[in-house]
Amino acid sequence: MIPLENFLLLSAVLFAFGFYGVLARRSAIQILMAVELMLAAVSINLVAFAAYTDADRFTGIVFAVFVITVAAAEVGLALGIVLRIYRERATANVDEASTLKW
Amino acid sequence: MSDLNFDYALLIPEFILVGTAILIIMADLFRKELGLGRLVLPAIAALGTIAAGAASLAYIDDVDDFANVIAIDNYTTFFRVLFTVVLLVVVVSGYEYVERNIRHTGEFYALLLLSTVGAIYMAGARELLTAYISIELLSFSLYVAVSLAKTNPRSAEAGLKYVLLGGVASAMLLYGMSLIYGTAGSTQYSEIAAAFSGGTSEYGFALLLGLVLLIAGLGFKASAVPFHMWTPDAYEGAPLPITAYLSATSKAATFALLLRIFAGPLLPVIDQWQWMMATIAVMTMVGGNLIALQQTNIKRLLAYSSIGQVGYMLMAITTISDASASALLVHVAGYLITNLAVFSAVIAFHNRTGKEELDDFAGLAETNPYLAMVLTAGMFSLAGMPLLAGFVTKFILFQAAASGGYLWLATVAVIASTISLYYYLQVIRRMYLLEPARGESGRWRLSPAGYIATGTLTAGVFLVGIYAGPLFTVADRAARVLALS
Repeated sequence: MIPLENFLLLSAVLFAFGFYGVLARRSAIQILMAVELMLAAVSINLVAFAAYTDADRFTGIVFAVFVITVAAAEVGLALGIVLRIYRERATANVDEASTLKW
Repeated sequence: MSDLNFDYALLIPEFILVGTAILIIMADLFRKELGLGRLVLPAIAALGTIAAGAASLAYIDDVDDFANVIAIDNYTTFFRVLFTVVLLVVVVSGYEYVERNIRHTGEFYALLLLSTVGAIYMAGARELLTAYISIELLSFSLYVAVSLAKTNPRSAEAGLKYVLLGGVASAMLLYGMSLIYGTAGSTQYSEIAAAFSGGTSEYGFALLLGLVLLIAGLGFKASAVPFHMWTPDAYEGAPLPITAYLSATSKAATFALLLRIFAGPLLPVIDQWQWMMATIAVMTMVGGNLIALQQTNIKRLLAYSSIGQVGYMLMAITTISDASASALLVHVAGYLITNLAVFSAVIAFHNRTGKEELDDFAGLAETNPYLAMVLTAGMFSLAGMPLLAGFVTKFILFQAAASGGYLWLATVAVIASTISLYYYLQVIRRMYLLEPARGESGRWRLSPAGYIATGTLTAGVFLVGIYAGPLFTVADRAARVLALS
């Protein structure tokens, strides 16, 4: 059987990639994709833990299903807002959306 | 499988809120066909909110924990009442603003009602998945609501920043939750507490990482420094009633959740998170209040002021005990009343002038002495002046921290609180000592709704400041549910 550590390592690497993407990318769409990577890492974690440490219940798997569903809703919502910005300014770049000072 | 024989009547307040939200969307859809006036939607929202608040008062002392998923107890009821009051205030003081500046009024009220349901379940959640879903119900509604302003081009930009940073924070929170689930083997608070009190040495690093990410994610939702970057932008770009709502319900709900988690399942591992919480509390108190000194926009000023207040509340989580839990509840209630008083005054000011820079408040004492008095009372209360709500609630909060062995933290809080007085006084100085801008020196009056909202809240600020006994009793009863030593 594959040890649990391998899954956790995979998920940690995926999460780190996603976090790097959030910090390094400037397009709102690419940031959203990076967030999706982070959420995929969460799902791997949850399913792996459910299989190895909580085998008689489905808590982790149910949690993962919810994470996937909520993530889909989040992307839909964020894309709606991106679209509105794009219509107003013809760009989806977060650097150029800077009327508000940080 | 446990049977599903629960006391569903305890969920009636949320049924009312969701039902009202659906009713509002339907009414908005058929607005023209039915010939509905412009006051109908806010009236439905206000009535639904009042009904929900009254229904939650009917279930004081009734308890059901719905198989460890959502606990309806005095703690939840306390926040239920607070959140319905906030919602009512936002609807009453904001409806004129909404009429003028919001693109889709029906969706606006429906989203507010739904986000309040999320906030209530954040206070009631006894399980990580439920907590997460409630957080997202609140956040998603607010992402949309922030970007609903019609005329303000900054609104969509604020919404974009809020939704992107919020998404990252949710991902971190979830990763932390998944690690805690993995180490404890359960997502239920009671089982996590049982697992952790049996010793946690075998999964030291995973648990520590989980705690760091959990605190980072929740710190973002509470806008604690260094996760506060979205706060001033979202506050400035959002429609004013939503800014008020963000500073009130969104903050209080996050603290309701934080208190339940850190006083329950994570209490056995307090040694591993207490220092993180103390560090964040210090950074938030000092950082928020220092950056507030340079702000020139009233919304951004109040954003940083609310960050400073979050720092004081985080201090109560750090020094967690029976006394500090009840002090936190008192402070949250006092802060909500005060902040809403200030915001309803700012909304009334904006309705008249359409402006929100600090310099626009020059000479307000001459053009509208009543509004200047309300703002002064609110600002002094936020700064913690005696005879006002802010003094009493801050006093017992700092006292609980000091007697909990964190005298240095309480000292930092007192210093930060003194710094905050400076920028609150800047607003008051402009109102009383400067002349009104040329051509704007005529007297003006508020709308009746404006008088009702500001008058009631200012009375509340004074009432809590002078006679806080009942609030202490109520908060004590709510905090007792947490069963801290």
